[in-house]
Amino acid sequence: MRSVIDCDVHQNLNSLRELVPYLDPAFREYLERGGYTGFQLPNYPWVHPSGFTMGDAVPSDGGVPGSHYPTLREQLLDGWNVEFAILTGEDILNVSCMPHPQLAAALASAYNRWLVDTWLPRDDRLRGSLVIATQDAAAATAEIAHYADHPGIVQVIVSDGARAGYGNPHYLPIWRAAAEFGLPVAVHAGAGGLGVNPPPTPNGYPDYYFEYHSLAPTSAMRHLVSFISHGVFETLRDLRVVLVELGVAWLPSLLWRLDANWKALRSEVPWVKRSPSEQVCEHVKFTTQPLEQPRQPSDLHAILDMVPGSETMLLFATDYPHWDVDQPRLIERRLPVHFRDRVMSENARELYRLPSPVLAAP
Amino acid sequence: MTDTVTVCDLDGLPPGSRRVIEAFGGQIVVFNVAGRLYAVDAVCPHAGGPLSHGRITGARLADTPFEHRWDLEDRILVCPWHGWEFDLETGSTLFDPGVGVAKYEVAVVDGTVLVNG
Repeated sequence: MRSVIDCDVHQNLNSLRELVPYLDPAFREYLERGGYTGFQLPNYPWVHPSGFTMGDAVPSDGGVPGSHYPTLREQLLDGWNVEFAILTGEDILNVSCMPHPQLAAALASAYNRWLVDTWLPRDDRLRGSLVIATQDAAAATAEIAHYADHPGIVQVIVSDGARAGYGNPHYLPIWRAAAEFGLPVAVHAGAGGLGVNPPPTPNGYPDYYFEYHSLAPTSAMRHLVSFISHGVFETLRDLRVVLVELGVAWLPSLLWRLDANWKALRSEVPWVKRSPSEQVCEHVKFTTQPLEQPRQPSDLHAILDMVPGSETMLLFATDYPHWDVDQPRLIERRLPVHFRDRVMSENARELYRLPSPVLAAP
Repeated sequence: MTDTVTVCDLDGLPPGSRRVIEAFGGQIVVFNVAGRLYAVDAVCPHAGGPLSHGRITGARLADTPFEHRWDLEDRILVCPWHGWEFDLETGSTLFDPGVGVAKYEVAVVDGTVLVNG
């Protein structure tokens, strides 16, 4: 059984109160006393009727799925032969949709300390994503600089739900810091329409989780277009963006539209020198889960063929322990044969500069 | 071997005017832009738009994001359909030097405007 690098693993807290010891004392009161029924991060108004997590991922201690290392090790790391797991956190990503910028930054910092102190030392296979609160770009930049040299931190992570497209100049110092320290920026599905974020669609709030989840790619499209139109990839030639859990198969049509519009509307954004499709191929990666499921698997291959370089752009992910988890063997079989080594492990190894397996002496 | 086609007397193509001629198996538009003469295919290579009706203008250029520097005044032909911008000095689009409209040499001999194909 091939080993894989899993680029979206949701380890979790049992309770936000676990962050109290890691939190700036000025903000501990919020966690200890805030809220009517305890402090909560902005949360989803849409509810999966049977829960957001795999039914069999509840740990033996009865805690929250993803919170219990031995269960995660057994089910994911050992069970699915995961060589490296990129930890992406859980609803801590929602700090960026809170209305209190300093509290948000403090919570992100506390989470990062907890991640580095408790999770990363448990297993050589674990790597961390640095959560930042985007409200205060200077604070986010300082947080990135603080952890830039930590060997277990391999990327910066934000939610796709945001108050503006990520090309907006407000965010540029954050992306610049990430690029300068060689950390990719993961944009993970979530937080759209939560807290003080605007509605997650141009036509307001969906009524059902079914709608919300199905429309997730539209937010990824919005950020991609924003990055390109604002020249972020022209300014930061080293920046790499990973769109996590936001789909893959929609990409060709957006690139065709972007390339056509760039030729016609170049004069509005004259700093965009390279074609949008060229920029996306060089700067953007896409995690596979939830990989689109056409009736004919060959249809997915045809779509991947439409994007030059797509074999270098996909990163395998399970999304463990969420309800729509992708099992590695299933995904591997659905990929074109010549994509498999790259997508299941080697693209991620290169992006995150992960070590190659040590081969036994002959 | 090049063919030469007569467009008109120079008096018939004063600055700011243009003429469309049939030549070399298609339509060619000849511009007099402030005394400089240009000839290009009259049909846009993108989607067949009538370059004969295109505006001649300048272009916004930028070296860094959010710069808007007006330059290349009187050198840019804009297709009236989708807005592709062609540099009349080279025929190339501004988005890709490798993509452009066919451009022809224009000469004035004894007061007559000629296009070489």
